[in-house]
This record gives sequence, C-alpha cells and structure tokens, in this order.
Amino acid sequence: MGIKGLYKVVSDHAPGAIRITDWKALGGRKVAIDASMSLYQFLIAVRQNDGFQLAGSDGETTSHLIGMFYRTIRIIENGLKPAYVFDGKPPDLKSEELKKRDALREKATKSKEDAATSEDVNRFERRTVKVTREQNEEAKKLLRLMGIPVIEAPGEAEAQCAILAKANKVYAAATEDMDTLTFGSPILLRHLTAGDQKKSPITELNTGKVLEEMRLSREEFVDLCILLGCDYCDPIRGMGPTTAVKLMKEFHSIDKIKAHLDEKGGKVQIPDDWPYEAVRKLFHEPDTTPADQVELKWTDPDVEGLVEFLVKEKGFSEDRVRSGAAKLTKGSSVAPQGRLTDFFKVSKRPATPDKPANKKKAKK
Amino acid sequence: MLEAKLDAASQLKKIVEAIRDMLGECNIECNETGLALQSLDKSHIVLVSLLLGSDGFSEYRCDRGVTLGLNINSLATVLRCANNDDILTLRSEDRANELILTFEDSKADRISEFNLRLMDIDQEYLAIPETEYAATVVMSAAVLQRTLRDLSALSEAVTIEIDKEGIRFSAEGDLGKGSTHFKPCVDMENAENSINITLSEPVSLSFNLQYFSNITKASSLSSTVTLQMTAGMPAQIEYKLPSGHVRYYFAPKIEDDPYA
Repeated sequence: MGIKGLYKVVSDHAPGAIRITDWKALGGRKVAIDASMSLYQFLIAVRQNDGFQLAGSDGETTSHLIGMFYRTIRIIENGLKPAYVFDGKPPDLKSEELKKRDALREKATKSKEDAATSEDVNRFERRTVKVTREQNEEAKKLLRLMGIPVIEAPGEAEAQCAILAKANKVYAAATEDMDTLTFGSPILLRHLTAGDQKKSPITELNTGKVLEEMRLSREEFVDLCILLGCDYCDPIRGMGPTTAVKLMKEFHSIDKIKAHLDEKGGKVQIPDDWPYEAVRKLFHEPDTTPADQVELKWTDPDVEGLVEFLVKEKGFSEDRVRSGAAKLTKGSSVAPQGRLTDFFKVSKRPATPDKPANKKKAKK
Repeated sequence: MLEAKLDAASQLKKIVEAIRDMLGECNIECNETGLALQSLDKSHIVLVSLLLGSDGFSEYRCDRGVTLGLNINSLATVLRCANNDDILTLRSEDRANELILTFEDSKADRISEFNLRLMDIDQEYLAIPETEYAATVVMSAAVLQRTLRDLSALSEAVTIEIDKEGIRFSAEGDLGKGSTHFKPCVDMENAENSINITLSEPVSLSFNLQYFSNITKASSLSSTVTLQMTAGMPAQIEYKLPSGHVRYYFAPKIEDDPYA
C-alpha cells in the first residue's frame, strides 16, 4: 500500500512537514476521504469481542456500515465537512500488485482453514478481508442518505482526493496511503477515521514542506517515491531508502541514476524493462475527474431513509440511528468557523527582529 | 541587551494571565520602543497582539533588538512567584539564552531572581493590512464579559449585530434563545459605562463563545474595550494599556452558505 517507507523517509529528512494535530484545529475544514481505504479499515477493525465481524440478522456483514455511520457522525460533530471518494478502475500498472494481494489473501484463507486455535483463525481471517462490490454500493447508499457527498473516481481514490485538495476544493486528503503525497495533495491527514483518537492522534503532512526541507523538486520527489517502491512497479533489489534519497539528491532523476548505475556496474541495477516512465506519468497525470467538474454539496440527512435502510434492512437499533441522524442535522446547521490565515497573509519570521515592533508603532 | 523595570509586578502578571490560555510558545520582540508580541492560537482563530511601550515601564533600556522566545505558560508560572506590589525587572543580555526576572519587595530586603530559558522559535507572522472598519463600539469591558458569559449558557456561538440603534448580542441553542441590546449612551459620572458607536454601515457577525470568553479575560486590564467589525472580516478587539495595548483579531463564523 502506498510508497514503501515514505513516512520514515519524511520523518527522517523533513520532520517539519509532520504535525500532530487535533480535531479542534481542523474544525470547519472540508476534507476528501479515501472511502475504499476507510471501508477496508472498518471491515478489519469494527469487530465483536470474539473477533468476528458484526452482522445483521441475515448473517451479512455490517461492520462497514457501522464504521461509516458512526465515524462520519464523529467527523461532522467535530465541525469537519467530509466528502468520500471511491475507487474506480485500478490502473493497468497495478494489476501485478493486485494479483499479489489476491495471492496473499488466498494463502491466508488456506492458513485459516488449517489454523487450530481461534486466535489464529481470527488473525488469518483479518488478512482475507476484501471490500466487495456490494459493500461499496451499500456504503455509497448510506452516505447519500446521510447527506454526505460521494465522488466516484475514474481511477485511484487517493489520486482523486489529491486533485481535489490541489484545486482547493477541499483542505486536505484523508487516507493512510502515503502515495497521496506523490499524487500532489498539498496536505495529507492520517488517522482521521481511526478508531480511538487518543491512541492515534491525527497526523498532518504538508507536501510543500516535505519538498522544501528535503530540497527536492516535485519531479524529483515523484521519482524518489518510485525508487522507494510503489504499487505500480516492482521495487529495485538493493535499493533501500537511504540509497534512494542519496542518489536522488545527487542525480536528480531516475534516468540519470540509471545511467550512473549502468556505468558503475555493481549489484544494484535498474532493469532496462523497468516501467518507471509509465509510472511517473501515472503520478503526474493520474486518471481523475477534473476538480472543477466535481460538485461537493452537503445536505441535511434523510432521516426516514436512514431508518428504512439501517433499521429495517440491516437491523440497527432505531433509537441509535435516529439520535445519530439528529447529530448530523445539528452538525450541518452549525456555521463553520473562519480562520485568520484565510484572511491575512502569513509571513515567516521577520529578518530583523525590530521590524514588527516598529510597524506596530507606526500604526498607533 | 534589555533591561525593563515595572514598579508593580501585578501589571505584567495580569497581562500574562489574560493571554496565556490562548498561546503556547511565542517570540517577544524587544527594541527601543518597547516589547511586542504577535501570536496565533493553535487553531488559527485568534491572533493576540500585545504592545508594551517603553513609557509604560519605570525604567527601560534596550539598545539593540532582542528576541525572547518563551513559553508563555512558563512565564506565567514564574510570575506567580512575585507579589503584586513587588518591583519587577526583566533582563536579558545580547544573544543570551535566558531571561532574568527579579522581584524586589519594596519594603523588606527580599530579592528573588528567576532565570527562564529562552527558545529558538520558528514562528509564523500574519501581515494585517490597515483597514477602516464598518463599525466601532467602545463599551465597558466588564459589561461585555458579563453579557457573553450569560449567553454562553445557551449556545457555543454569539451573533453580534451593530446598527445605528445600538449593539445586540444574541444566542440560540437547545434550551432556547436570548439576547441583550445596548443603546448608545453617555454616562457623565462613570465614563466607562458609556457606549459609543461609530458606524458607516450596519454589521452582523457570529463568533465562537469559547474563544470570545478567553479574549474577555483581558477585562482586568482596562475598563473599556473597543470592538471593531466589518461584515465577513475578522473583528478587532482592543484593550488599551497605560502605554500600549492588548489587541485581538478574531475570525468570525462563516455564515453565508453553510453547505458550501
């Protein structure tokens, strides 16, 4: 998932780009959430005490709906405006990676059958989790009833989130996938939909600061991410994060690094058929809907529709659905808080310390 | 170097207590004209701007600009060790990494000295353009604080409307709603109870009450407060000091389109 070891590279080389933040600091912001990632998290994390997924009376899993419903309410109650982006067709380049993931799932299914203890069954069961088409459709239906915008990306959801953030349609992209940075989202929020906020506070990554502190251009950064290992091509044998960063700073592009390694010989080699140019194109021009064609509109929830769907079809408790819907109505009626940084220009520390005082004096 | 003396420590204690809840670490810039501080709160909703002119000190010397990077809460902790009528001295050498505070009891022979470590803080500053506000209201600081406290029982937001009839504070919540209206007036005996409104056009803005009540902690610093507002812009709220001011820029709630 995402870029191999990118978080560590960023925290080592650009610590200033990572900020631990809280709900309060995000109040009033619009965020684009990678729905596919969230659903996957819910299916894994929202479980009963015995470790099995929550299910309705017909035995069908409801973990994804419970997660979506309650966590979205919490996001709204904290004053944020979420929009969910769903995956479309994965890029052709990803097919190898997806095959690998399927193979892992199959292996886990097998291990599960062989597993002796319930603990093992539980562990392997989590590894077999895959978000089905029906679960995706149910989540979309739920969100629409809740009055939350649903965006269906033509390609990867995190790329679409990044495009929306880049065009200032939303403040940030919220996902765990680090390749959102590679797709060019100015701000990435991690752990926004995580379960217990106290255990994992929201982490905010700022792409501009990553580039600034690592002294890389955006092109160099994308190339670096490809070198580190992404979902779209095999990693280079022997190319760890330290080497990748060092080579990128010295040679500035994969083409030049490849030429250098070819010339130098040695163990670490970039194969001739490595499709990095196609991957690079994918990161720079991903398959997305242009931001100006995406309409984000938050409306009041359809309470009766929610009751019909969640209570009658899925067996949720009616009281809880109604009180949740009331929270949504309340959340959508509260006017968002403005920010001074939206009104006034931010400048860095003045060069000479006596300047701001002088300015203030002149103002008096 | 900086050397500044106040005849009563309470002057600085009150200021620091008023602003500490909103601020963490920030830089105090010192030069020959006085001390200045500008800092955003963590959520970027309120900007605190403090100016202590050199005239406000009984003795003041600062030949070259000094930046004091401080944790305001640490400063408050140290200042609590001073009695209100102690003589307070702030001292910092050029390029020193500490601020020395001395508290002298004017009657007895006690002198306490505290050294606060300074920090190198990479701080963001906001450039605030010079603006003419649509409405300016001068009123009693205590009355404003009380009014907002009353309304905070009802809601987390207050709406302030200013027109030529006066200034109106209102809030609405699950309990119900409430409002207080003040007409412009002149009180000859107690000048601070006067309400003076200057208006070029009517204004209506909503603010978060939690932050507003933090701002009104500065009521202990001045008998009157000046509210300046323009529709769709941050409000400026100023408490005058004998020489200088504590000024807040406060971002309003965005009213126009709740779904946008």
